[in-house]
Amino acid sequence: MLAAGALEPRGPVAETIADLWWFMFALGLAVFVVFAALLGASLIRRRHEEDPSTGERAPDAPSRWLIWGGVVLPLVVVTAVFGATVVAMRDTPTTAPSEALVVEVVGHQWWWEVRYPEEGVTTANVVHVPVGRPVAFRLSSADVIHSFWVPSLGGKMDALPDGTNTLVLQADEAGEHRGACAEFCGLQHARMDLLVVAEPAEGFAAWVAGQRELAAEATGALAERGRELFGDARCASCHVIRGLTEVGVEGPDLTHLASRPTIGAGAAGNTAMELAEWIADPHTVKEGVKMPATDLDEEDRAALLAYLEGLE
Amino acid sequence: MTVAGGTGPDAGTPTVREPETNEALDRLWADPPGLWGRLTAVQNDAIGTRLMLTGFFFVLLGGSVDSLVMRLQLAVPENTLVSAELYNELFTNHGSVTMFLVILPIFEGFAILLLPLLLGTREMPFPRLGAFSYWTFLGGGLVYYSATLFQLVPNAGWFAYVPLSGPEFSPDLAIDFWVLGLGVAEVGAIAAGLEIIIGVLKMRAPGMTLTRMPLFAWAMLITAFMILFAFTPLIIGSLLLELDRGFGTQFFNPGQGGSSLLWQHLFWIFGHPEVYIQFLPAAGIVSMIVPVFTRHRTVGYTWLVAAMVAIGFLSFALWAHHMFATGLPPIVLSFFAAASMVIAIPAGVQVFAWVATIWHGRPRWDTPFLFVVGFLLVFVVGGITGVMVAAVPFDLQAHDSYFVVGHLHYVLIGGVAFPIFAGVYYWFPKFTGKLLDERLGKLNFWLLFVGVNVAFFPMHIVGLMGMPRRIYTYDDSLGWGMYNLISTIGVLIIVPGIGVFIWNVVRSYRKGEPAGPNPWGADTLEWAVPSPPAEHGWSVLPIVRSRHPLWDQDVLDRGDERLEHFVHGLSTWPLRWRAAVIVGTADGQPQEVFRVAGPAIWPMCAAAGVVLIFVSELAKLRWGIAVGALIVVAAAIRWNWPEEPPMTVEEEDEFEREHGVPVNGAGSVVVASWGMGLAILFVSIAFGALLLSYFYLRLENPVWPPAGIAEPALTWASVAAGLVVASGVAAQVSLRRVRDADQRGFVTGLASAIGLLGAGAALQLWDVAALDFGGTDHAYGSIFYTLTGFLAVVATGTLIMGAMALYWAVKGHYTVRRHATVANIVRFWVAAILIWVTGFGVLHLGPHLT
Repeated sequence: MLAAGALEPRGPVAETIADLWWFMFALGLAVFVVFAALLGASLIRRRHEEDPSTGERAPDAPSRWLIWGGVVLPLVVVTAVFGATVVAMRDTPTTAPSEALVVEVVGHQWWWEVRYPEEGVTTANVVHVPVGRPVAFRLSSADVIHSFWVPSLGGKMDALPDGTNTLVLQADEAGEHRGACAEFCGLQHARMDLLVVAEPAEGFAAWVAGQRELAAEATGALAERGRELFGDARCASCHVIRGLTEVGVEGPDLTHLASRPTIGAGAAGNTAMELAEWIADPHTVKEGVKMPATDLDEEDRAALLAYLEGLE
Repeated sequence: MTVAGGTGPDAGTPTVREPETNEALDRLWADPPGLWGRLTAVQNDAIGTRLMLTGFFFVLLGGSVDSLVMRLQLAVPENTLVSAELYNELFTNHGSVTMFLVILPIFEGFAILLLPLLLGTREMPFPRLGAFSYWTFLGGGLVYYSATLFQLVPNAGWFAYVPLSGPEFSPDLAIDFWVLGLGVAEVGAIAAGLEIIIGVLKMRAPGMTLTRMPLFAWAMLITAFMILFAFTPLIIGSLLLELDRGFGTQFFNPGQGGSSLLWQHLFWIFGHPEVYIQFLPAAGIVSMIVPVFTRHRTVGYTWLVAAMVAIGFLSFALWAHHMFATGLPPIVLSFFAAASMVIAIPAGVQVFAWVATIWHGRPRWDTPFLFVVGFLLVFVVGGITGVMVAAVPFDLQAHDSYFVVGHLHYVLIGGVAFPIFAGVYYWFPKFTGKLLDERLGKLNFWLLFVGVNVAFFPMHIVGLMGMPRRIYTYDDSLGWGMYNLISTIGVLIIVPGIGVFIWNVVRSYRKGEPAGPNPWGADTLEWAVPSPPAEHGWSVLPIVRSRHPLWDQDVLDRGDERLEHFVHGLSTWPLRWRAAVIVGTADGQPQEVFRVAGPAIWPMCAAAGVVLIFVSELAKLRWGIAVGALIVVAAAIRWNWPEEPPMTVEEEDEFEREHGVPVNGAGSVVVASWGMGLAILFVSIAFGALLLSYFYLRLENPVWPPAGIAEPALTWASVAAGLVVASGVAAQVSLRRVRDADQRGFVTGLASAIGLLGAGAALQLWDVAALDFGGTDHAYGSIFYTLTGFLAVVATGTLIMGAMALYWAVKGHYTVRRHATVANIVRFWVAAILIWVTGFGVLHLGPHLT
């Protein structure tokens, strides 16, 4: 079940914010109703037949309207909202507790590099987190400003080229969460999604163990040929496949590519057909990505695909 | 059409007396005919109307077509109507155009067109500055739009965040079009701002004290000050961005000591006040319309003024609420959250003052009032969501989502566009003599009101569902499709609404119902003159005795005997030059009669020079920058060239003896010194923005100057500073000499002041040229040389003014009686020295002390 909205909270931070929202929504609605009623009444109320031309009444005295409506009402509302804000800020941690899982997320044009420094895992565009444990996302950028946003877990935080920002989130139940880049970052800002998978501690541990493995060996002649092509062709100048090549680091780590749900940061599903299309020319799927089109013939492409499909 | 009092359109309100001199004055104040006349025009009617029409033209050209195409693209998921690149260009253009080229010029146009009539005076103080402002605005807008011709449309958002907008990630010239084109327009915005400040403070009808001033004038006064304080840092920010892009400096490159957040600070120090710069004039228009259409005096006039002043100040203390997600410390976040929420109080005061006026009054449902009611409803929703997004944790969800898109359009369409429509419906009859059609007006309103709510309300919901801003497409699976489709339908309702408005304006302009002087039975001065008004507006200046003169006064040209004599005297003399009156800032009593500048080509030449400077940078023809600068200087010199006074000193004295108000046919003493004061303020704010950048970079860098760069040597810089200070002393002495009628001492003093300043500046530049670090290696060098360059520019400006003064001094132009120019130049001189000494302290002394 994919959670995507700020009002479908699946963790304490998002819950705190959703509660703050509903409080402000009720208050705001009340203010609007009171205001609209006053405005409506002032527009349609019956008036005594007086001199209809220029008013002789109305001294410029601060009427009760200004004191009660202009000052007291906003003051009360704003004080309440500010109080709720401070409480919510206190309840949403900005520094990581010691038991927190550290995940480094680096924004790239237009994908997310995801690293678990303590676990020694590197992946892209998908973040696995254990349920019930705080996660400290250490956010930075390799190029322009991005913003890391997973609404069902909490608010967003910018990934800057200047340094590291920390965002502490937590998932309270198993499930999947949609994330996206929230700061305009260039051509494919719209296609810079992220998936957060929250799973119980055992499941998470199993996932980490799987990701720590070196890349699967190629099985079969076709895949074997694909493996060679990956090293020989330009793929290796940008992509790491641990166990095969660790030369270029510009692009996403592909060691366990086949275990990911999407390619191109959500631009396409991770099916054989879509992956084949991507390899041939990624720009037909996601115009403007840094990866160039390949000039492999059909046979070579099939080989490369066979190898990549095996990278569980 | 409803009619005041039921006895005739102008029942009960006084009109102006039209003496025999009326036609002569009208001819005297008219711009020359033909094409040449159009190029040299300075009349406030012409300039104001042009600004408004050009602003409206730009929104039709860009702002509106863009939004329609964007909405069509987003109507359904996975749409392929436009490419990602085009979509990014569209929203960049939509934001840039509306924020820089539409709303502000329209309001400045309103102000320049209306203020002289509204305030009971004949012109704005610097008609040529007004013309300059228009030409720069037009030139800037055209440079910006010309990007389309070169297929280099800006695509980094209206906020142009670095590093995306920097040289590495936007290497082509698209962003240069954005920076430089809008930069020219910003110069124009500031020029109009100066004009409006002085106009409101110094040029009003006799008897119009500050507390009798119409609220629209108050709103424009505060707005114009905000323009000065907000646009200047933006110009500095744009300068730094262009230096990074065109000259290889490192201001915004984190790898070399720069900071990407410095741009965001500079941009939002402008960007948030900008919202209120757009809202306050709108609030001013609403404050004019509500009393007229409820037949009731404004409740809480003083409160409304205080609220606007409070908004003006507060708006500079909440820029960082655009930066809640950048990782600022919690204490800073709380401060900016609180400051952002507090603005609800002055906004609440305004809203309830209007509602109270309606309550006590008797509403009349003409179109202007309909738009005001629509404004109140929509704006209050935007205000409520505004308080919500000030709540930091919630903002971290809402920020950069469609919730904010919904919020800001409620504020800007409800709070700004509706009042603009109200203002057009209200004042159109005054300037065309024709009423806009009421039936079309109501259709116009309902289409817009319904369309705006249908378009923008669903955005709040889809934002909370997780839809980020500025995405050209979205997945079907997310369930955002329906809300987006509804928004698109809303825009499809707005489009015919705009169409009805244009049709109404065109039709009514040609064959609308004749309006008469005061079709609404309004209370303020502009409704006393004929519709359309004469070129000079007022033959006999009104004498104001009330806040609602047309409601409270039976006649406008009666009052205090001395004033009465004065305004009638001024209606018959002079008839050969354009005379306008300066009044005391607070009391509205005449202080001076001065000659307003007439038509000239020089404002357009100066504007062309400014455009050339920016276009040369765009085309990387750097010598063009120097040519442009020369043109600006030459045009400015010609523009201010002293003209033969149109009358003798004896004639001036005679008028003064007769009326007790001094006459300055050679140009105003009062207005010129105010103009110089504001010019000094402008330079100081620019300097302040550079200092802020310096200290921000210094805080970001643990080692300053960075390793490998020695602290700048002190010896020669100190000597240079000493020479500069000495030049100021000499300038002061020379001013004293001219006042003592010591021509020889005056000339000698001025010459030595120029010599000392020139020597000091040259020595400083020679010393700096020998430093062993460049401006492109590290942000330290970048800001060091930029600040030094700023000091050099200020010194050069002072030298040019000094040289001109010397030229005229040698020709014996200045006398004890007429030397206001010298006094103003010396004021600038002193300011330049303070800036120089501060710069010396920060750049040279500072690193030694810490």
